Parts: sequence; C-alpha cells; structure tokens
Amino acid sequence: MFEQWIQWLPGLLSGLQTSLAVTGLSLLLGLPLGLLFAFGMISRTRILRQTTILIVELGRGIPLLVVLYVVYFGLPDGGIVLESFAAAVVAIAFNTGAYTSEIFRAGLLSVPRGHIEAAQSLGLNWTDEARYIVLPQALRAIVPPLMSYSVIVFQATSLGYAIALPELLNSAYQIGSVTFEFLSVFILAGLIYAALSIVVSRFVDAIHSKTSH
Amino acid sequence: MIDNQQNRTQGAAGTTDAQKAPQLQLKDIHKEFNGNTVLSDISLDVNAGEVVAFIGPSGAGKSTLLRCVNYLETPSSGDLLIDGKPTVKIASKPTRNELMNLRRQVGMVFQSFNLFPHISVLRNVALPQERVLGRSRKEAEERAMELLTRVGLGDKADARPSKCSGGQQQRIAIARALALDPEIMLFDEPTSALDPELGGEVLAVMQELAATGMTMLVVTHEMSFARRVSDRTVFMADGRIVEQGAPEQVFGAPREARTKKFLEAVLER
Amino acid sequence: MIEAIPFLLQGLGTTVIITFGSFLIGAFCAVPLALARLSDIVPLRLLATAYIEVVRGIPPIAWMLVLFYGLGRYVTLPPLLAACLALGAVSTAYLAENYRAGIQAVAGGQWEGAGALGLSKGDTFWRVIAPQGIGVALPPSASYAVGLLKDSAVASVIGVSDIAFQALTLNQQGNPGLPIFLAAGVVYLVVSVPMAVLARKADTFIRTRSAV
Ligand SMILES: Nc1ncnc2c1ncn2[C@@H]1O[C@H](COP(=O)(O)OP(=O)(O)OP(=O)(O)O)[C@@H](O)[C@H]1O
Ligand SMILES: [Mg+2]
Repeated sequence: MFEQWIQWLPGLLSGLQTSLAVTGLSLLLGLPLGLLFAFGMISRTRILRQTTILIVELGRGIPLLVVLYVVYFGLPDGGIVLESFAAAVVAIAFNTGAYTSEIFRAGLLSVPRGHIEAAQSLGLNWTDEARYIVLPQALRAIVPPLMSYSVIVFQATSLGYAIALPELLNSAYQIGSVTFEFLSVFILAGLIYAALSIVVSRFVDAIHSKTSH
Repeated sequence: MIDNQQNRTQGAAGTTDAQKAPQLQLKDIHKEFNGNTVLSDISLDVNAGEVVAFIGPSGAGKSTLLRCVNYLETPSSGDLLIDGKPTVKIASKPTRNELMNLRRQVGMVFQSFNLFPHISVLRNVALPQERVLGRSRKEAEERAMELLTRVGLGDKADARPSKCSGGQQQRIAIARALALDPEIMLFDEPTSALDPELGGEVLAVMQELAATGMTMLVVTHEMSFARRVSDRTVFMADGRIVEQGAPEQVFGAPREARTKKFLEAVLER
Repeated sequence: MIEAIPFLLQGLGTTVIITFGSFLIGAFCAVPLALARLSDIVPLRLLATAYIEVVRGIPPIAWMLVLFYGLGRYVTLPPLLAACLALGAVSTAYLAENYRAGIQAVAGGQWEGAGALGLSKGDTFWRVIAPQGIGVALPPSASYAVGLLKDSAVASVIGVSDIAFQALTLNQQGNPGLPIFLAAGVVYLVVSVPMAVLARKADTFIRTRSAV
C-alpha cells in the first residue's frame, strides 16, 4: 500500500497546491470583504446596515456548494464565464466574507465605547480612529478565530471537486478512477487534509492560550 | 505648573474687556433620547478662565450637557458658540470639519480614563498630537514628556496604562487632552472611579490647571472641590439649570428648595 | 421557470431526510464518544480524541466519496444511506465536542455531592450531570444542525436527489442555470433561516432559564 501511496503522492501534492492557492486567494479577497461587511453591519446608515445584513445572511444561509454552482453554472447565463479555479475563488471568498464579518464585527464591538469616545474627543478623524485605536485593539479578538477559520476555508476548497477543479480531492478521485483503488487513495488524501487542519488548529490553540495569559 | 498664557490674562480678570463675547455660549441646548427630553433648553455663558462646577442628582443631564459641548452627543437643537462664533451651522447636523474644529478647541477627561491600552503612556499622549496637530513624532513626544513630568508621571512614560494606578491613569488622561492645547477642558466626574486618596492627586492637578487660567467645565460629586475651586457652581435637576451662582452662595445660601434638598442629602452623608 | 419550483421542492424532502438522519446518528453516537473522550482509561480517551480530530480534519464531501466510491468495492451503499452515514460520522465528532463542553461545564462538586448521597455513577451522570449540561450543549448543537442542512448539499455529488441535485438536473436539461441555482439557494434559505431563528430562540430561552 505504501508503495502505491508514494507513487500517488506527486499527483496529490499538485492537487494540494491548487487547494492551497484557492485557500490563499479566497482569504485574500474574502477577509477584506468580511471587514467591509462588518463595517456595513454596524453602520449608522440604516439602508447600508440592512443591505449588508441581507447579503451576509444570504452568504451564510445558502450552502457554499450552491453558491459555487451559481457562480460556475449560473453566471455564464449573465455573460460572466469563469474557469473552475476563478469560480471557486469567487464563491469561497464571498462565503468567507459573509462568515468572517461576524468575527470582525464582534472584534470591533469588543473595543470599549469609551475608547472610541476618547478618540473622538481628541479630534481624531474616523480613519485615524479606525487605524490607530479600534483596529489594533480589535485585532487581538479577531486574529485567533480568523486563523481557525482559514482551516474551514481550506477544507471548503474540496467542494471544487464538484466543478472539476483539479484540487486535492479531485486529484484523488482521478487516481482512483484509473487504479480503482478509491479507498486507499481517499484515505491518503484524507490524511493530508487532516494533518494540515490539525496542525494549524493546534498552532492556533497554542497562540490563543499564550495571548490570553 | 501647567501654563496657559493666553488665557491667564483674561481669565483672572475676565471683566477687563466687557464687550468681548463669553468664550463659550450655550443657547437653548435641547436634547432628547427617543422622545425623552433629557436637556430642556439650557443656556449658559462661560467666560475665559472660568471654572464652572456642575452638581446635581443622578440623571439630571450633567453628563449629557457636557458631552453636547464637544458633540459626543449631538444636541437636538440649540446653538453652541465659541468666542462668539457658531461652531456648528445646523445644530443637529454637524459636518466633519465642524466637529474636527470644535474638538480641537475642547478637551475632555472621562470618568473611566479611557486611555488606549495597546500603546504606551507616552504614545497615548503623543499620538493624538501627531494625528490631529500634525506635529512630528519627536516634537510630540517631547511635549508629551514635558506634560507627563508636570503631572508627576515622567517615569511612567514607557509603561502600559494598565500598569498605572487609577489616579495615575487619570492624570495621564489629563496630560493627553492638554497636549492638544485646548482652550476649554471638560471633566465628567474625573474622580468618581477613584478612592479618595487617588482622587486627591487628580484634584490637585485640576486645581493647578484652574490656577493657570484654563476654562474648565467640571461635573463632580466632590462638593468640597466645587466649593473650593469653582468660580461658579451650577445645580442641575431634571434636565434644567435650577440654580447657579458663586459657590459660597449656592452652598451657603441656596435659593431654591430643590437645591436645598439635594445639598442636605449629599452633605448629610 | 415556474415548473422548476415543484421539481426543486421534491429535493427538499431528501435534503431534510439527510439532515435529520445524520443529526440523529450524530446525536446518539456522540454520547459514548464524549464519555470516551472524558474517560480515565487512557487508550479509550486517545482513540476518541483521534476520531474527533481526524474526522473534523477531513471535509464532509471527502467522507461522502470515501463511503460511496471508497467502500464501493466491498459494499454498494445506496447514495442516500452513504450520505447519511458520512454526515452522521462527521456530526458525531462535532456533537461529541459539544457534549463534552456541556459535561465539563457542570461543576465538579456535583459529582462529589451526588456521590455523597450514594448515587451510582450512572445515576449521577443521567440524572444530575446530563440535565444540567444539556443547557450548555444544546445551543451549539442546534446551530450545528443548521450547518448540517447546508453541508447536506454535498450529497448531490454522489447522486442523491436533494435540492442541489435537482437544480443540477434541471440545468443539465438545458434550463438557464442562474435562476435555477438562485431558486435552489432560496429553498435552502426558507428552511435554514427559520431553523437558525429557532436555534437562537432556544439559546436565549435556556440562558434566561438557567440564569434564574
Ligand atoms: N445614550 C442614551 N440613550 C438614552 N438615554 C440616555 C442616554 N444617555 C443618557 N440618557 C438619559 O439621560 C438622562 C440624563 O443622563 P446623564 O448621564 O446626562 O445624567 P447625569 O446627570 O450625568 O447623571 P449621573 O450623575 O448619574 O452621571 C438619564 O435619564 C439617562 O437615562
Ligand atoms: Mg453623568
């Protein structure tokens, strides 16, 4: 079995590369989106607030797989044709934005009201207030859950299988359909997913218990 | 020990130039929260260098009034003038520029200090100068150091605020506000969160500041401070100014029954 | 386009069956797993921990493929059963962690107190600890059920005719994809939003009740 595994590893690792690329790009686009949504959700402008909440609820209420189908199979009807890689990034980034907005929002709200009033009474404008006072403090509450969330994003890239994205799970499936050793190759792929997820989660826990002291 | 030269001359003798408009004027300041009136048409003139103490029962609207002066609360209606000039064109709709200008002239000290916990004491005092006044980092930190030394906390410059006692934190907060060279200082119960000894340190700093001629509006539960330090004591209840006058008069011979009742209750304790 | 709606709704039943079925599997199997996770017997505890960590480390869609294609050589599972088992295995791991938090939230003094009264370990667990821990474990488990509803969409990749699968079928029959998949999304929302609201209600209800 191990000989087979060694034989398959290069194929799976190239799939893993795609998974990681989608993870990275989705976070790169999705996290700023999440921050934007968070600002929208706590905005004083009612229309802005309600629109954002609606978008976020859509992003959280609709299964990511269906969002992926919308982007990959649906958008071409609107004249937007995306390859599976781009479609996966767009769908997962949107999903990430919707889910992390709650993390950002909680982080922003964790900054005591008094600090914001102090910043205002000192005459700081709102960008300075955000940059020097609110975000640095909020970051402490935000970073650990965001790191945990990146594990979820990594796992979510496996949905790319459904739109023929050559990521890790799909690579395993391709190998299986040639060798008919589905179980064995899926176990190997699963171990790769689990190993990465567990390592990152443990790392986050370690940081978390360090900073909370 | 804290100087404020331009105010000192007019401050102590605010009557020398009788034509000059009061430094701060509140005209019919009205404030409602969801239909509940919290301030009903408050008018008040404060001269440069004057120290005005606000006393009154809980819920009287003292904090709200103070917070209207730097627009942390937006008044529902009314006018706010500094040196005779309106600070905000439409009272209930301040523009960003108007707010910036107003807050540059008015400093505020809070009951809960509100120092920024993620930066050092020195940076707390220097950062606003850099961002608001555009001072260089060096210039701002020099000024910060100078003020910290004056409030007796030069040795705490590199510490985090959380490593300082409450009294020290409040003195740092005062230094932070003063570093922006405000013309008017607002204090909302600056000693209420402190035990008497630490509160004493803070009151001493405030007393010295008053002696330099700073215009000060102080909401306080410290009757002795109001009595000793203020030029004028304002008694508020139910969103109105019930009575105001020299502290000897308000404390010694209150005219209104409501004031008497409040003072009896407070002084009995 | 209107004709598509009943076709999608046919998938709704299947989606609910997968969600409900896998949640039930998880809710039951998580009890022994949580107890094993807290057990004094080291190998048992390690095994339970390993199960929880590994299962949660592998995406649900991968479990789906493992059970359907991976085991396909040995047993041919009907797709619906494979989907329920796969998601059931995953929810077992997640729910066990919720149960564990619930059990641990009950103060240690309760065990001693019950022991002093002469209650057996089993009685103590079922009559003293579990009723108290459920308040802690229930709210996150209810939100997990909402998550499970959305995860159930991955069953479509092994041909279970749930909402997502029905939408795919319609699309492959030549209907425009955009309105179809959006409509599918709305059908999920119609179920998931009330579920989420209920979960939140249950949460506040339990909080206020246990605060008294
Ligand atoms: N943000 C707000 N929303 C609604 N009501 C408010 C708000 N802020 C203050 N109030 C109400 O306005 C009234 C005056 O409050 P304020 O804090 O100004 O009183 P105060 O005189 O400072 O009292 P204290 O001595 O307790 O500080 C109170 O009835 C209070 O409940
Ligand atoms: Mg107050």
